[in-house]
Amino acid sequence: MAYLATHDYLEDKNFVDKWLYTMRTGEMDLSWMNAKTEKIMPRPQNARRGLTYRDLDVGSYGFTEVPEKVRDNRSYAPRGAEIPEGVPDAQPWVSRKSELWAFNTESYYEEAVSRQWNATTDIPWDRLEGVEMPEATGKALSQLMTFLTEVEMIATDTPAMWLPRLNPDFIEVKAFIASQAMDEARHAEVFRKRALTTGWGLMAASPMNEMALKHLRDADSFSEMSVALHLVAEGNVLTMFRFSEYLSPTDVDKKIFRLVMQDEARHVGYGMQHFKYVLENFPEKREVLHAHLDEAENISFAGAAATEVTESFIILAGGGMKKENIEEGIKVTTQFNLKQMHEHFERLEKCGMPERKDPKRSKLYAMFLQGKADAEAHGITF
Amino acid sequence: MAFYAYKDYTEDQKVLEAMQSVMAGNLGLHWFNANTEKFKGHASDPNRGLTYDDLNHGTYGYSDLPEHLRTSQSMVARGSDKSGKLPDMGYVVNRKSDVWSDNVSELYEETKARRWAPATDIPWAALGEKPLSETIEIACAQLYTFLQECEAVSLDFPSRWVALVNQDFIEQKSFMCGQMLDASRLLEVFRKRALYGGAGLKRANVNAEQGLKEWLWAETYPQGSLSINLALSGMLLAIFRHVAAFAPSVTDRAIMRKAMQDRGRWVSYGTGALRYHLEHQPGQRVALHEYLDESEHVMLGIIGSAEFLEPLIIIAGGGLDKDQVKTGRVAVAKLIKLMMREYFARLDYAGLGGRTERSRLPQVMERVQVA
Amino acid sequence: MAVSFPSTDYFEALKAQMVAAQEHFSRLGFIDTTFAVSVANNGKSHHYVLEFEVFELKNVSEVPAVDLKKVDFSIEGDTKVWREMIENIKRNGQADTHHDINTLAHFGEQLKIKYDDPDGHDKLYRFMESIQEFFDLSSKLEVSFN
Repeated sequence: MAYLATHDYLEDKNFVDKWLYTMRTGEMDLSWMNAKTEKIMPRPQNARRGLTYRDLDVGSYGFTEVPEKVRDNRSYAPRGAEIPEGVPDAQPWVSRKSELWAFNTESYYEEAVSRQWNATTDIPWDRLEGVEMPEATGKALSQLMTFLTEVEMIATDTPAMWLPRLNPDFIEVKAFIASQAMDEARHAEVFRKRALTTGWGLMAASPMNEMALKHLRDADSFSEMSVALHLVAEGNVLTMFRFSEYLSPTDVDKKIFRLVMQDEARHVGYGMQHFKYVLENFPEKREVLHAHLDEAENISFAGAAATEVTESFIILAGGGMKKENIEEGIKVTTQFNLKQMHEHFERLEKCGMPERKDPKRSKLYAMFLQGKADAEAHGITF
Repeated sequence: MAFYAYKDYTEDQKVLEAMQSVMAGNLGLHWFNANTEKFKGHASDPNRGLTYDDLNHGTYGYSDLPEHLRTSQSMVARGSDKSGKLPDMGYVVNRKSDVWSDNVSELYEETKARRWAPATDIPWAALGEKPLSETIEIACAQLYTFLQECEAVSLDFPSRWVALVNQDFIEQKSFMCGQMLDASRLLEVFRKRALYGGAGLKRANVNAEQGLKEWLWAETYPQGSLSINLALSGMLLAIFRHVAAFAPSVTDRAIMRKAMQDRGRWVSYGTGALRYHLEHQPGQRVALHEYLDESEHVMLGIIGSAEFLEPLIIIAGGGLDKDQVKTGRVAVAKLIKLMMREYFARLDYAGLGGRTERSRLPQVMERVQVA
Repeated sequence: MAVSFPSTDYFEALKAQMVAAQEHFSRLGFIDTTFAVSVANNGKSHHYVLEFEVFELKNVSEVPAVDLKKVDFSIEGDTKVWREMIENIKRNGQADTHHDINTLAHFGEQLKIKYDDPDGHDKLYRFMESIQEFFDLSSKLEVSFN
């Protein structure tokens, strides 16, 4: 199954002899010095921002000039280098720009690199010493954290699976995905650490959400994967992080959610920009993406039906398990669920898919309208 | 490839009723008494913060992970209460000794702690203020073109495997994520450096790429790790040290100092993982020797390629005149010896001793002469 | 007041400077390594063991001989080489390319790196920036040479 290079270099007498000759005599080939490549002199446009990928967006080196279909490079040669005969085929599955591009990708990456934080040292864990939460809210928090640590790594595994399949010319997209992988590892870490500092340990797994993870993992194309992951799933999670920050029982939890939401917003930003780009530049994909959204929304709904998450949210939102706490918790959770769905359709609309806001097109939209009406009937607005 | 859920939940009466029941205040609370270990983790060293090592406890820890993971194929968090129908994520790396290294948790923490940003942490202006001679700059541009190729392949390696590694190896997978960002950042800084100097990129390296693809596409994770984390990373670490030692500018030295730190972690992991692998699967010693018999030639494919060798000679020697080229050749000859020495020492340390006698590399390397 | 090199006082003075620059060293990241510094002079050597942990130098001790099994690596060199490095640091505020640890030790011709296991050796490179900047703190000291 393994790939074999075109030469066994140790057995290639010409290769060995040429190398030894160069070392012995100093006679060098030097033809690479005259490589037929563009000469540019990029400089930071903003000294405080430093030298960014955007500063390198010049001529044949830049991302702006990458064509819709990359035909001339399937190797590991960096974009803009001279590519001689004989380079291997990296076997990219995706060589079409509109399949993965997003406006601002390079900035998302630079932002990610500059905003890396450390779950070990940037969270004031010592402030949890001696903090004892009541059993109900303590367990509810631990359950929420168990759910979050369970789901975060899908946003590492899934884009990472696609990374080596992307044409190496899409440097900035690959870089962004690498930064996302690190973000999500950090999120899985911080949520695991928080669950294991409550005193209750981890709680129950979420089978309904596991199915969502499987769906995210096994997409037929990068765009479908991105729509389901960056737009739908991470969009939902971003709303959840905002609500969770609001509900946080301690300032440590507030800090955690503030930091994770920054990262998540970048991922959603990329997802939105990519969705917009693919609809504008690859319009044939529209119906394919609709079909994928049908299943992504089915699974999104399943996630909302995962009672271990909903119930823990209700308890946290209401501050306990007495009747009045539960009532308040249901009210807040209802608002959260509706907000999640509302924001989901808002994103789709902003990115160029307004037709999804139609109960005949989207079952989830039908559920949203029904839920909104039920909520209003109970005096709950969002 | 697409996965479809077991049912259409929006039309499932049972699901809808369960949701409605909860939202009417009837909480089932099946999770409330989850069958898990009660534990409250603390930072053992407040200066260091709360590490994964601090949570290496009981069912939550990695020490107690069995060698074979048979009961966990989903993304359920290690130590949580698994119940209900869970999907199979398709992991193919389910043996601890296929991926583990005793220092992986420590290396992950170090990766995070030693983060940096190429845009702002490299003194780019220093190169602008004191540009290099044209010859040296072109040599640097070629070197940095080649290094981008190495990082592109390095980025693909953990990416190819991370989703195939069982989720219970969370610390290991997290380290792989760190590797992805490391490779991405190094690719970025090498690209920025190559272009900043004004010579443009140069030529892709056919021989190196052919060899790198062979290593990247190894059949198993242990083989690939041996090639990418130990062999390639060991070579790159030596190259970074070398270029730092002969750095033509403050900018290049700063870049190489950061690069050697990042790559040093890969080498540490690669050596540690090989060691762990052979301690627990001693029979693999034969298989890995055979693998290296076939794949070690890639090292020569890299070292012997003009696009790698010649710029290094020029940078180390300081130019193209006869004496400079001789100085450069002497330095590169020493570098090659150093690479080989360290490569075999790491293999020996990791339990794959006897390689020097078996490998085809020494008899070729010993023929290097500088007249 | 001048500190003498080599001596534990020299390394303790660097340690104090490192504490004063804690924020900077924290940003560089964890440094978890124990290494030895050996300074040879006319056939005699002085050996020091430096234990770094998290962001600081925790302990300095002078030892009669270096046990390579107890340290990650050892940096050995003649007093002339060390002196030249420290004087270079003093002149320039930091070691220049020809006088930093990496360059001096690269081929083992001026400083030698010795180690028992390669993983310990690799720690020199994993923490290179912090180690170099630690020695660069010499720029803030008056150093006299024995």
